[in-house]
Amino acid sequence: MNPLLTFVVILIGFYGLSTSSNIIKSVFCVTIIESGVILLFLNLGNLDGGVIPIIGDALPVGGIADPLPQALMITTIVIGSTVTALALMLCIKVFHHYGTVEWAEILSRESGK
Amino acid sequence: MIKQLILIGLLGILFGVFFVSMQDIQELYNTFGKDYIAATGFADTGSRNLVTAILLDYRLFDSLFEAGILLIAVSGVIWISKHESQEKNAQFMLDKFKTPDLFVTFSRLVYPLMLAFGFYVIINGHVSPGGGFQGGAIIATAILILYYIDADKDTNIALIVTIEKILYIAILLVASLSLVSRGELFTNFFVIDASPDTKAIYLVLLNVMIGMKVALGLWTIFTAFLKEGR
Repeated sequence: MNPLLTFVVILIGFYGLSTSSNIIKSVFCVTIIESGVILLFLNLGNLDGGVIPIIGDALPVGGIADPLPQALMITTIVIGSTVTALALMLCIKVFHHYGTVEWAEILSRESGK
Repeated sequence: MIKQLILIGLLGILFGVFFVSMQDIQELYNTFGKDYIAATGFADTGSRNLVTAILLDYRLFDSLFEAGILLIAVSGVIWISKHESQEKNAQFMLDKFKTPDLFVTFSRLVYPLMLAFGFYVIINGHVSPGGGFQGGAIIATAILILYYIDADKDTNIALIVTIEKILYIAILLVASLSLVSRGELFTNFFVIDASPDTKAIYLVLLNVMIGMKVALGLWTIFTAFLKEGR
């Protein structure tokens, strides 16, 4: 897969983040951006082909994929999942407080006070 | 409408910048780091899985803070979801909707298999795909299936979080043991000349501890959400 295509995934996330009217949809868009970043890094680590970076008694023919981006992306996945959980928990609290999760309605209610 | 067109135009400019910057990627790309790790990774760390070699040995500092961020996020979720009234055993969302019997039966069948698979992935993290973080997620999923089988299950979140904090301190201690044996922080505590099989003991130990920590953390997050949905 081409790195340019993964950047398209990131841009789709940006577009959704700018246009979504719902807080939960915004959280989804953040995870879409995150998936795009993960795909981009995995691509850049494997530009010239290669198999998974697990070595037996000898190195695999054709070389291995770069293990460093893969190790970094494990970090990203774990942190991303927990941050998403934190954001969704905040969404629940916002819903309990305002009774809605629409950006426009919350903003108008805040400015009306 | 005009706003969206402007937005698409701006995103197009971003894509153009990325496209231009990717033009010379073939010249910038090199394989020095990859070749070094492939040549010396197994002898240095005793791990056949080079991703685990980086996670638990070369860049252990990263992984420690990753586990720390998981702990902080779990604490944040618990703190945000705190309720004024102290309920002893929260009524879970699941028993509002009657769980189908088929679900319950298959959950009983799958639950031990998932637990065993999670432990397999954790313990073999240094020879096969997997490791503490992935296996911990599988074990957490297996624990969540318990709620399908018995929705009235009582979970003591405070105890779980305390165990998790103790585990995190234990991980830090095991990671700093290398200061005594090797004279440097955050690497394998066996001496550098030890055989790969000896070094693997350290990898298995740290993988198991990280796996337990991740499983407990995800379990806590899920329980907090279930209590919200009651």
